[in-house]
Amino acid sequence: MYPRWLWPLSAIPGVVWLLLLFLLPLYVVVGVAFGSVDPVLLQPIPAWNPADWNTSWISHVLDQLLPGNVFWDVAVRTCEYVGLSLAGCILIGYPVAYFVARHASRTKSMLLILLVLPFWISYLMRMLAWINLLSPGGYGLRFLSATGISSVLFHLGVISDPSNYLGGQSFTVILGLIYGYIPYFILPLYASLDRIDRSHLEAARDLGASPFRAFWHVTVPLSKTGLLGGAVLITLPMFGDYYTPNIVSGAPTTSMIGNQIDLYFHGGPQPTIGAAITILLSAFLMVLMLYYIRTIHRASREIPA
Amino acid sequence: MHPRERPTTRRQFLIRAGAVVGTLSGADALLSACGGSAKSGAVVPPTTGTLLGPGGIPLARASHPVTLKRWEDPIASGLKPETGGTFTIFNYPAYIDPAVIKAFGKKYGVTVKVTPFDNIATGVTKLASGTVSPDVMEMTPDQLPRVVAGKLVKPLNLDYIPNLKNVWPSFQSPYYDVGSRYGVPYTVYSTGIAYRTDRVKEDIPNLKPNPWDIFWHSQKYTGKVALLSEERETIAMALLHRGIKDINTEDPKLVNQAVNDLQELYKICSIKVGDLQYENVPEDKAWLNQAWSGDMLAGYLYYLPNKQTGKLLRFWNPGYGNGPIGNDMWCVCSTTKKPVLAHLFLNYMLDNGVGYKNFVDFNGYQPPFNEIQPESLIKKGVIPETLASSVLTESDFGPKSLVEAGLTNAGESLWQNGYATFTSGA
Repeated sequence: MYPRWLWPLSAIPGVVWLLLLFLLPLYVVVGVAFGSVDPVLLQPIPAWNPADWNTSWISHVLDQLLPGNVFWDVAVRTCEYVGLSLAGCILIGYPVAYFVARHASRTKSMLLILLVLPFWISYLMRMLAWINLLSPGGYGLRFLSATGISSVLFHLGVISDPSNYLGGQSFTVILGLIYGYIPYFILPLYASLDRIDRSHLEAARDLGASPFRAFWHVTVPLSKTGLLGGAVLITLPMFGDYYTPNIVSGAPTTSMIGNQIDLYFHGGPQPTIGAAITILLSAFLMVLMLYYIRTIHRASREIPA
Repeated sequence: MHPRERPTTRRQFLIRAGAVVGTLSGADALLSACGGSAKSGAVVPPTTGTLLGPGGIPLARASHPVTLKRWEDPIASGLKPETGGTFTIFNYPAYIDPAVIKAFGKKYGVTVKVTPFDNIATGVTKLASGTVSPDVMEMTPDQLPRVVAGKLVKPLNLDYIPNLKNVWPSFQSPYYDVGSRYGVPYTVYSTGIAYRTDRVKEDIPNLKPNPWDIFWHSQKYTGKVALLSEERETIAMALLHRGIKDINTEDPKLVNQAVNDLQELYKICSIKVGDLQYENVPEDKAWLNQAWSGDMLAGYLYYLPNKQTGKLLRFWNPGYGNGPIGNDMWCVCSTTKKPVLAHLFLNYMLDNGVGYKNFVDFNGYQPPFNEIQPESLIKKGVIPETLASSVLTESDFGPKSLVEAGLTNAGESLWQNGYATFTSGA
């Protein structure tokens, strides 16, 4: 018999980790967002005491987030890119996860290794690879042209120049986001699909459901937690992404809100604005998180584990 | 099983993992904000808009030289250099020849380490926060008052730097630091336009009324046009496009007009920003690119797919009084534990042989040495005649030269917000 305190004790490293590397830094950013700046060295002077908070930076950023102001376009663009990338991940990732979980038997281990393989290479390196692939004469560009994909995308209005994917096109940024984050989406979804009890599907089929109806009414609801978990895993970091548009585009018209945070934290007299954007972005993401938690709890009640 | 021992279900795991990831999604920004705390403890003052910089130091202009007050006595003359341990150089990445610094380490018996920064402003922020403790740091004249006011760099004893005589006379006692009290020059450069003659057909140097206008007539080069990702350079370029030569203006009307002009480039050519012009133009990824003079030399020396391409590269240098011009410098950091060796490093970099090797063998940015002339470089076959304009001479500098000098804090905010507006794609 283990002592009662043993397992709570095992949580201490995680709690300490969260306190030191999340809550404390978060409060520092809050302090910076509500603080001031040293006029000589331009270092932020955090306001630790809420009674001393200067709300003007938050107000300024909130004002700039209104339609027609500086941050409005970039905030809307960020939401669009994240939404479209998520849709792309679902369209590509769900069939892959479904196939590996339900139809791969002897090849399952190999496929899982292949799914994990991208983690062996740094995200930045994977993004930089696209530069060569899509550069003039690059294999990727030649493939897209030879297969007619570029032409189709051009005629659909998805891209503005079929010979220059790196010339500041939204499509390339979204492609980069999908490519970069999709492994994080597939793995939790696979775990969810793999644990679905096949007897549920057999029951549906025995009761006369077609394969599609069985999939739609049994598999999809039972994989909802994995779907939402994967979606959360990828969308939240996407909102803070700034290096993907930097690498594969570089055009202001494809920048994301993370680029603005980067700019203000990258030297200069207004790190407070960078901190204020960070806090507001975190607050926005927290709303999404609460929705996710609420949905998952509801699903937990409706469907027995 | 213990009653309190409840296994974590898959759903609970996903919920918790999601929550953690959600809260960590801004971690980059959070952690970067933790980089430091203020040293002086001062509160934000309303900036006045006068030509006084940090700590009340007058902002230097070519026409208004400034002698910086020494905040401590320089080290005594005749001391022996420190040996052993590590000597840290804090500068831009890949901006100094590894062979040069290796030779320095060997000469003085130290291990030389390079700590890179993204740009000077970020470097100053890191230095001020105490997250780095370098011996020497690359600096720019516009940031010099800030690091002097913050006591981040040490006054120099020029007895240790006799090689200062090798640089152009105007840089032996420059307007921003009369008497070279805190720094010595490293490289010089002008800002112009890099382009490829196989792609860009306009005769840019002879474009009337203003060669800078090429960016606003670059529809046919859409997706292949880029500006430097530097707020001072991009906005200054837009000011010059309008014929405004005060590239240190703090007039909101002028800065906002420049930003509006830059925003027009979204539709004209799907403008890009970045700092890879030395690579992108030779490699055909960019055809028309705002660039520093050293970029095309570096591009020619290191990034050419083939030598034939070298003949296609051009750099338009606006010339004296028509385009931004500047220099980088070296300073001895207050954090150094090897002040004598740090002085000797500055002297070493001003050695004719060392500076020349660093220039032609590695970074392409020239030191302002008396010995380096465009004609001699062409004669030696180091650079082609078509890139002669990338090499500057002392006559490019003078009281009428356009230098991106220091701004007041209000001015810096104005320019930063303008640049943020441009890069937001709004």
